[in-house]
Amino acid sequence: MRRRSFAALAATAVGAPAVGGVLAGCAPSPRPGSRAAGATLTVATTTDVVNFNPLVGNSRTDYWITDLMYPRLLTIDDAGNKQPWLAVKYGYHDPKTGYYRIRDDVRWSDGKPVTAADVAFTINAIKRDKPAGNTTFGQLTNVARASAASATEVLLHLSKPDQTVLREVGFWMNVVPAHVFGKVSNVATFANTGDWVGCGPYTLVSAAKGQAYTLERTEPYPWAPGGKPSLARVVFRVYPDINTEILALRSGEVDLIANTLPPAQVDVLRHTTGITVRKVPGLGYAHLAYNMKHKPLDKLAVRQALAHAVDYAAIRRVVLQGQAVSTHSSPIAPVLTAYADPSMAEYRHDPAHARRLLRQAGYRPDAHGRFPLSLRMIYSLQDAVTAQWASMVASDAAKAGITITLQGMDRNTYLAKTDAGDYDIYAGNFAIMDDPVTNMALTYLPGGAINYSKVDDPALSKLITDAQVATPDEQRELVAKAAHLVRDNVYDNVVYMQNFYVAHRTEWTGFVAKPSELLTVVDPASLARVRTRS
Amino acid sequence: MTAQARTDAPAVLEPVAVAESSARRTWRAFRRNPLGLPAVVVVAVLILVGLCAPLIAAEPTGYGPDVLQAPSAAHWFGTDNLGRDIFAEVVWGTRASMLVAVCSSALAIALGVLVAVVGAYFRRLDTAVGTLVDLMLSLPVLPLMILIAALAGPSLPVTVAVIAAFSWPEVTRVVRSAALSVVGLPYMDAARVIGGSHRWIIRKHLLPATAPVIVVSVVLTASRAVLSAAGLAFLGLSDAQSWSWGRILYEAQQSGAMSSAWWTTLFPSLAILALVVSATLMSIAYNDARNPRNQGR
Amino acid sequence: MTTALRFAGRRVARGLLTLWFAVTATFLLLRLLPGNPALAVANPNMTKHDQALLLHQYGLDQPLIVQYGKYLWQLLHGNLGISFTQQVPVSSVLLARLPWTLLLTGSALLVTIAIGVPLGVLAATRRGTVVDRLVQLGGVVGQSLFVPSVGIFLLFFFGLWLRWLPIGGAYSPDAAGAGWYGNVLAHLVLPCLSLMLLQIGSYVLTLRASLIDALGEDYCELARAKGLPNRAVVWKHALRNALLPTTTLVGLQLGFLVGGAVLTETIFAYPGIGRGIYEAVTQLDYPVLQGAFVLLAATVVVASMLTDLLYGVLDPRVRTR
Repeated sequence: MRRRSFAALAATAVGAPAVGGVLAGCAPSPRPGSRAAGATLTVATTTDVVNFNPLVGNSRTDYWITDLMYPRLLTIDDAGNKQPWLAVKYGYHDPKTGYYRIRDDVRWSDGKPVTAADVAFTINAIKRDKPAGNTTFGQLTNVARASAASATEVLLHLSKPDQTVLREVGFWMNVVPAHVFGKVSNVATFANTGDWVGCGPYTLVSAAKGQAYTLERTEPYPWAPGGKPSLARVVFRVYPDINTEILALRSGEVDLIANTLPPAQVDVLRHTTGITVRKVPGLGYAHLAYNMKHKPLDKLAVRQALAHAVDYAAIRRVVLQGQAVSTHSSPIAPVLTAYADPSMAEYRHDPAHARRLLRQAGYRPDAHGRFPLSLRMIYSLQDAVTAQWASMVASDAAKAGITITLQGMDRNTYLAKTDAGDYDIYAGNFAIMDDPVTNMALTYLPGGAINYSKVDDPALSKLITDAQVATPDEQRELVAKAAHLVRDNVYDNVVYMQNFYVAHRTEWTGFVAKPSELLTVVDPASLARVRTRS
Repeated sequence: MTAQARTDAPAVLEPVAVAESSARRTWRAFRRNPLGLPAVVVVAVLILVGLCAPLIAAEPTGYGPDVLQAPSAAHWFGTDNLGRDIFAEVVWGTRASMLVAVCSSALAIALGVLVAVVGAYFRRLDTAVGTLVDLMLSLPVLPLMILIAALAGPSLPVTVAVIAAFSWPEVTRVVRSAALSVVGLPYMDAARVIGGSHRWIIRKHLLPATAPVIVVSVVLTASRAVLSAAGLAFLGLSDAQSWSWGRILYEAQQSGAMSSAWWTTLFPSLAILALVVSATLMSIAYNDARNPRNQGR
Repeated sequence: MTTALRFAGRRVARGLLTLWFAVTATFLLLRLLPGNPALAVANPNMTKHDQALLLHQYGLDQPLIVQYGKYLWQLLHGNLGISFTQQVPVSSVLLARLPWTLLLTGSALLVTIAIGVPLGVLAATRRGTVVDRLVQLGGVVGQSLFVPSVGIFLLFFFGLWLRWLPIGGAYSPDAAGAGWYGNVLAHLVLPCLSLMLLQIGSYVLTLRASLIDALGEDYCELARAKGLPNRAVVWKHALRNALLPTTTLVGLQLGFLVGGAVLTETIFAYPGIGRGIYEAVTQLDYPVLQGAFVLLAATVVVASMLTDLLYGVLDPRVRTR
């Protein structure tokens, strides 16, 4: 009797894991012995891979992994300048015809050469299928089509002159193999989940969702010393929680954390034995945008008061732990040495001045010193650093008598609110603001995709549209003028430019820190050279 | 019928005097349980801390000069990644966490008891109520809470509403079975025979009979709400305007401090533990004490 | 025989109703709450026109009732749709995670029962003693723990300090052959332990209460009066009845665990369904979310059918009811 009842109860309990065991047994088959000999670098990341198709933009891990397989035409240096990569030369045959001349010594992992036809195919496929989230698509607005003039020359046929398209497309677009991606009718819905063909330095060989992604060396890879990437294997492992990720690094289970560290952890890890912390230069900025379509933010005095209320230095010192630099309230970060204007000055933190400005604008404080000024500020909760300084901005504003209601929200709600213009103040950041002209067009032209302050100033618009068709020297001058206009009218309020830090086990060496949290030390140029200290 | 007639309902079965002495007996048994009284004390202290937060510590805002400092005389619970005092955060967090617990539990109890009592009393509705409760209980609660909180935008009212929306079926389930055991008793029939209005019978007879179960439900629902709210907050789904225990933990997690600065997580976790454990123990002790069967054996 | 059939028929109908309810609730929630899946995947450079195209591609531009009808129709054919962001069938997204979820929750359940039942018996037979109080206290504390804090502590202590167990994931990427199974087991220990702590309290307390009730029943008194040793009365007679509420609990908890282990899976980097749901929420991947809720509802239905079956075995009265 007793045995029977117990057995029955146990049966359900045992049944489940038995099923689990069987399924687990079939699902991830143990990896076969690898062909390539050499070292394995295990990289931790917090986000899972969403999509293996580099033409469909998604999680940061997608970007990192596909970047190791599909080459870019150009890369970027610390000052935001574009440098040759797959393309050795680029320029314009005439105002409406651009060209890239590409290397002839690069091969896909299946042995086929990487040719101009692959590049032209990629551009035309993006134009045709409009993959969701593709950054390049917006940059191709003035491109009618692309063609391969020879095996090494790609032509971009423009519908109207465009001075920025070659640099932007060259940097942002991953070139995909036409003989693989051309087999599907629509590249926008191609999941690319197996039989990967990449050009290296590493190409995916296996993927276990939510777990690990293994890439193996692809040879020859002309950018690696001796044509041979230094590692046999790169394994990306997913740790959704940054704390677990740090523990895994400390225990040696992973060799490198690809995500940039939370500012407060940099010092902690720097003083942990066995771990090396490395700086990654920033190329983007964090900013506050005041929605000028909402009264009273259309008034310059109110925007100025808000700008003078913020203690920028404290934000950089406390939230960023001194790891950020001022851009002098300019949308052009000082690292962009070709464009930055060192004569500009940051908005002074001066609550008294902010109050004075408001009084001059006709506002009268109540008995508690509070002005009848209440504003809603949105930011994404997934963006921890912004969430922290947003709360500091709100308490700073309170000291100047301005009430800011914090609206931290889930990223999707935040995007929806941003899209609908449903906010007074927008707090957020851009990862890479590499090309001033392009970015100013997106940020400050009426109808621009990221024109979050809804600015519509004809003088500013003219400077930007002139710059779009100007020579590089003229561009510099126009951009500097535009930056002054933006700062003086508080069309945008750039809070800082952050430098990032990544941590790896000390036994590894050879990392190359590429700028921005998007490239970091997992850029192909870096991982093709990484090796253990000997 | 008149009010006179109503009070004439069989006195033996609607015993005021007996109820009083049973309350005293319950209290005596409750005191005998070594886990009961300490639990009451802890809950009382936490309620006091929540109410008197402004008297105990200044509201943590802005930032401080010393980030991630271990506990010291100046900062009893240490400081967080913006140099704010964690003791103050925990004290103020008590307030918000209690508020969420009380509000969502009140909402869930009101809804749950209403559905349960109506279902039990009007027998024709009972099948429908039972099915609805079963269906609600079979929904995956936490994933749905995450979904709704993320889409609706995290805020105090949303958190309360979401937790209440998924807590009432459990209340209904418990209260319903207690109510069902009462509606069949002779004095209920008698009350109906003498023509008492539905509302009167429910209020005077049905609700008092289920009161002990409701009391236990209130405590359990509230303490579970604290855990649910903390879980949602940990996933980034909490109100950014006020401090709650969950938010302290969330900020510790986001700043990567959990693995290196133990004080950022230990104290808020202990606060959660203290509240939930003592609330649960309180209701267990009460349950044991009230059940005459459990006494003297 | 006919009563048994009728019972089974009613049970299946109820299961289908539960499934329909879960499907409909999720479907409506996703569409009635704010959130735009096109924005979740789109680049800011995307124009309104392209966003509209994307919504059309997702089929989200159709009237609600049409979308609902299409979804149910596809569901009846066993088609859960294609993930918005991953662009692979939803079934393959879920199947990649399901085995790990079943392994984790199943083993946690097994361990919980293996430890919880004896503890419950211990507490019930020694009621009022220090042992009883300690068991109760332990159970309540376990239930009240905040998973992420405990998880990080366990990882720190066993993973980094003692180095006995791995830090996260379901297995190491370099494990192969026979060692793979041991590797999976090593990765299972900590998340399993944390889930066990979380749920053992309800088993112990439920079993304790129902065993105390059962021991007070006439048949137990009778058995004792007949001179049966107390031990035999507890294990042979009382426990059988006391296990009924515990069985119900298994059904309830299983459904709760399969999707509800989000926090555990996050901290331990375990690739289960709960974590998958959380990620689908952040990407507004409607088809994956809908599919996941269908799967969870199905798990609950199956679990409760199993417990009903078990109930029938334990208590013959059920079948005739």
